[in-house]
Amino acid sequence: MTRIFAYYSLGFVFILLQTALFPRFLPFFLKPDLLLVLIIYLGLNENYVRGGVLAYLLGCLLDVFAGNYLGLYGVACLATVFVVRGVADRLNTESSLLLLVLVFCGTFLQGIVLFFALGLFADAGPLLALFFGQLLPQALLNLAAALLLLQVVSALQRRFAPRSELPGLRHLNNRYGS
Amino acid sequence: MLDLLKKYRTPLLTGCLVLAALLVYSANLRHQDRTTFFERLVLQVTAPLQKGIDVGWKTASGWWQHYLWLIDTQQDNERLTLENRRLRAELVGMQEIRLANERLHRLLEFRETTHLPALAAQVIAEDASSWFRTVVIDRGSADGLRQGLPVVVAEGVVGRIIVIAPHQSRVLLITDASSAVASLVQGNRTRGISRGKGNLLTFDYAVRQAQIEVGDPIITSGTGGIFPKGLPIGQVTRVTREAFGLFQAVEVAPVVDFARLEEVLVLITDQP
Repeated sequence: MTRIFAYYSLGFVFILLQTALFPRFLPFFLKPDLLLVLIIYLGLNENYVRGGVLAYLLGCLLDVFAGNYLGLYGVACLATVFVVRGVADRLNTESSLLLLVLVFCGTFLQGIVLFFALGLFADAGPLLALFFGQLLPQALLNLAAALLLLQVVSALQRRFAPRSELPGLRHLNNRYGS
Repeated sequence: MLDLLKKYRTPLLTGCLVLAALLVYSANLRHQDRTTFFERLVLQVTAPLQKGIDVGWKTASGWWQHYLWLIDTQQDNERLTLENRRLRAELVGMQEIRLANERLHRLLEFRETTHLPALAAQVIAEDASSWFRTVVIDRGSADGLRQGLPVVVAEGVVGRIIVIAPHQSRVLLITDASSAVASLVQGNRTRGISRGKGNLLTFDYAVRQAQIEVGDPIITSGTGGIFPKGLPIGQVTRVTREAFGLFQAVEVAPVVDFARLEEVLVLITDQP
């Protein structure tokens, strides 16, 4: 329960940063998707049911602050977490580098899911040019944000909880002392 | 006689000197506006010396104050740095107030021309994603707002309220891909629909025969039931007429700079 609350609180903080802080110093309507990093992390470290429910609820929370379609990001986050969970068994999920690669690929995956969900179910207008013109810069921005976030989390962990381990974040490195 | 002079030599010499001094003095009093040769000579001789002493003193004093006795300098430096910071902060604050004043003045002038009740609001947040174009304003249902109300600035149309909370509302900008505004070309009254395209708009359903030129202003037509008639939307930036087809492709740049949106007006129209 504490973990679920922690995920949700973190998601809320990320959304607040995206809506109120980033627009003050980033170009107009181009901001890193920190919530995607959290969704990818969920996919790597939680099972299908818990990860799916959490991702869907976080997506719905994002829908309150993004766009005009409640449930759209819920679907996109659910799809993302399931795909990540599906490939996670074949990958070394303890490597933080994997998280970066998945964030980059996850941006494209989420963009495609959003595009089809909007195109098939809503009268969302000329989306193709908007989505595909902005996907690569968005992916690079998300990658940079994920890298920065990893550095910050690792530094905080070393400073305040050196003995504890966040699943999936340099777990192997700590265990084998490399 | 000689003995007498010898006897009173000192008083006599003293008296003569005083007399001579008085004579020179009284003679000079009549030629005050002229510099005497004596004065010139003395000044010429002493000037380099004075200058040398002055330079030497200043150099010594400078060395002392700048390199040896630095206690006051350190304190002065700290005090001036603090004062500089404070003045800079005040200056930035004053400039901010001046700019806000100018914006609000333009908004007030616009409000007087619309003849509709309007409520000023502040943009407090943007959309959480990069794909949609919405902003959050600091007024909601508690201030008398409701879904669907048009939001404008002095330059033109901003969007409409799509989500309402007691003290906040989300506004769908006209540049969002799902936004459509009934509009017309101001010059030749060609009707169409202005649809959002991210950072630009397209003017859809403009018939091929209509003469639309680059630079033509696009305004609201008032037929969509949301925006009052005559509000500026944008200017035509590109017109493409294919060989076939009923309509022409028209691209429109919005007149509102959405990247610098701060204060807006919500027009309180009668339509539910």
